[in-house]
Amino acid sequence: MQDTDRPKAGHGAAIDRRDFLKAATLAGTGAVVPQAPARQHSTQLASREGEQGTPPPVTATQTTCGSDFMVDVMRHLGIEYVAAIPGNTFKGLHESVINYGMTAAPRLELISCMHEEMSVAIAHGYAKVSGKPMACMMHSTVGLQHASMAFYNAYADRAPVFGIVGAILDAKDRHGYVDWQHAVFDGPALVRDFTKWDDTPLSLPHFAESATRAYKFAMTPPWGPTVLAVDQELQENELNPQIPLVIPKLPQTAPPTGEPGAVREAARLLVAAERPLIIADRAARTPEGLRLLIELAEALQAPVVDAGARMNFPWRHPLNQTQRRTELAAAADVILGLELTDYWGAIGGRLAPGVKRISITSIDLFMKSNYQDFERFTPVDLAIAADAEATLPGLVEEVRRQTSTQRRAFFKTRGARLAQDHLESLAQSRSAAAVGWDSQPITTARLCAELYEQIRNEDWALCNGTVFQSYWPQRLWSADHHYQYIGDAGAYGLGYLPGASVGAALAHRQHGRLPVAIGGDGDLMFSPGALWTAAHHKIPLLYIVHNNRAYHQEIMFVQSMAVKRQRGIDRAHIGNAITEPNVDFAKLAASLGIYSEGPVTDPAQLGAALKRAVARVKHGEPALLDVICQGR
Amino acid sequence: MRHTIITAALLFSLAPPIMADTPTGNPVEGQRLFMTYGCYQCHGTTGAGGVAGPKLAPDPLPLEGIRAKLRTPSGRMPVYTPKVISDAEIADIVAYLHSIPPGLPARDIPLLNH
Repeated sequence: MQDTDRPKAGHGAAIDRRDFLKAATLAGTGAVVPQAPARQHSTQLASREGEQGTPPPVTATQTTCGSDFMVDVMRHLGIEYVAAIPGNTFKGLHESVINYGMTAAPRLELISCMHEEMSVAIAHGYAKVSGKPMACMMHSTVGLQHASMAFYNAYADRAPVFGIVGAILDAKDRHGYVDWQHAVFDGPALVRDFTKWDDTPLSLPHFAESATRAYKFAMTPPWGPTVLAVDQELQENELNPQIPLVIPKLPQTAPPTGEPGAVREAARLLVAAERPLIIADRAARTPEGLRLLIELAEALQAPVVDAGARMNFPWRHPLNQTQRRTELAAAADVILGLELTDYWGAIGGRLAPGVKRISITSIDLFMKSNYQDFERFTPVDLAIAADAEATLPGLVEEVRRQTSTQRRAFFKTRGARLAQDHLESLAQSRSAAAVGWDSQPITTARLCAELYEQIRNEDWALCNGTVFQSYWPQRLWSADHHYQYIGDAGAYGLGYLPGASVGAALAHRQHGRLPVAIGGDGDLMFSPGALWTAAHHKIPLLYIVHNNRAYHQEIMFVQSMAVKRQRGIDRAHIGNAITEPNVDFAKLAASLGIYSEGPVTDPAQLGAALKRAVARVKHGEPALLDVICQGR
Repeated sequence: MRHTIITAALLFSLAPPIMADTPTGNPVEGQRLFMTYGCYQCHGTTGAGGVAGPKLAPDPLPLEGIRAKLRTPSGRMPVYTPKVISDAEIADIVAYLHSIPPGLPARDIPLLNH
């Protein structure tokens, strides 16, 4: 600790942390620790009693502060936004962001939030589009507790978030009972099971080092969130001119690549395979990952199943065989899994005898124990512990090198067959989408087809995962760019999408894209305040409420229990339905300052309503459309 | 053995036809049950299906096929015993599924041809 950063309390008998550590070290060697005179203790007790009822001391004006330096550190790291709802344990940093960060270049802008869970979700969505972290400031204890689930989502989704939680470490600075209730000795412990790294820096030089380290760890694959607990004294005290403040250089981080021999073996298996299958989940961390996966698939003329946590492969590429996942996995003789968290689930249950399984994932290099998001263990023949995207160039090169002219001709035939299969899958999807086309409630297929009609000639970007829309966008739309799809929450924690879509839309704004999100009514009820953030910051986003007025999956679960116990199945909606009253999302959004329409119940009216909402978003504002839909 | 097979075939041919395409249930009551019992949660209100459950209509399975799916299902579909859904109620639900008209083919819907 730099004790000059943190002035001593001024009492003659006070022992600061450095002195305490010295004394403790001496005690460890058997030296005698000098005791404070008894007289001074009694004086202190009398003094404390005299403090009762007195207000906190008025601080003098100051010309420098630690939190301005913290802003400089964040700027140096390339952070452009800080999401926060206020909390007095980071009031120093809050003031620095708005009066220093936002008024001098490079600008560090504060994004006003309504809940810490939304702050982190906004950072989560932003990171998946921009490819870099946003900072989040959170109040000590209760703020981080609110944020904790969003951290778990970001962790499970391998998204970098730069978290800062306030702290009042020194008891003398706690001015009332709330300060004590909001004080914790080791705040980040709350989220330590699902963050990559945390620290509690005790000086400004320590902060600079830890912030740089946190950023580096967050951005080293597998990406993930980090947290720094920052004491309020460190933020608020004057800088000590005697202490030079240096911001460490941020290294250019090279992601871990596969061992060349293992990559060569993977290529050998793939080239020799008759029925290879590539399954990718978070393989494309960046646009380059998507490009490289196209190269690999085309070099092999092998089918690709996009498991959907990122935009790994163009949706209309002839080798995209996502709709045929089960049959292809069952028939495959070699399966290559790229950044699969759930290898078991991705391949289904039935496999051909003798199938060879290859895994390339950076998750093998970093995993924690308590939370079980590492999924079921799946035996593989070759596990390459490395970042898939970084390993793809070597794998592509090896595949090309090992492919003979004869094999290339075979691949060409295979590719032609797969292209035909892709067209047949598309035709089947269209036929399936036509079923119930005019139904009320509106089918999710109709909703997605109507939405695509309105945006397909725009530079659109979908900000939600699509499992609750039966994957209709992937089945009906055409998407080629990495930014056009960012997957889902990661840990299926509800309340993700409102914040994440606003964060993603913020990242899209500077590119002039048209961000759209389709989210459930239940999910939106967790965190509607994110819509206010979109309105406040004029973030263009079309938010479509896929309003099925219930937690339908859970109805099915409860119903299965009722069936098992033979007690009737007509009450399973209790506790699961979101009716009586129906939520009026259009009014809710309007109250938060957002253009809105709904509920739309007639499929014939949906296209026109979407067109009006899209026009608003293209004009630079958020819009919400409430559509009454089928369950999935 | 051969004699037995022929006899069985004759008996089958003389028996009244199984209600394959002409369910005797009440489609209006079947629609009410389809909603009350939550079939629509996974299969959609008009049986269009989705990621949670397969398509049921138009062109549904015959009564016996649907009864078998309810009584001895596979996957995550729960078992529906006669105590929970009676045979008569199944007949009503199947009648409702049969009453759902086929929609336009995809090729005739411009939005599905981009």
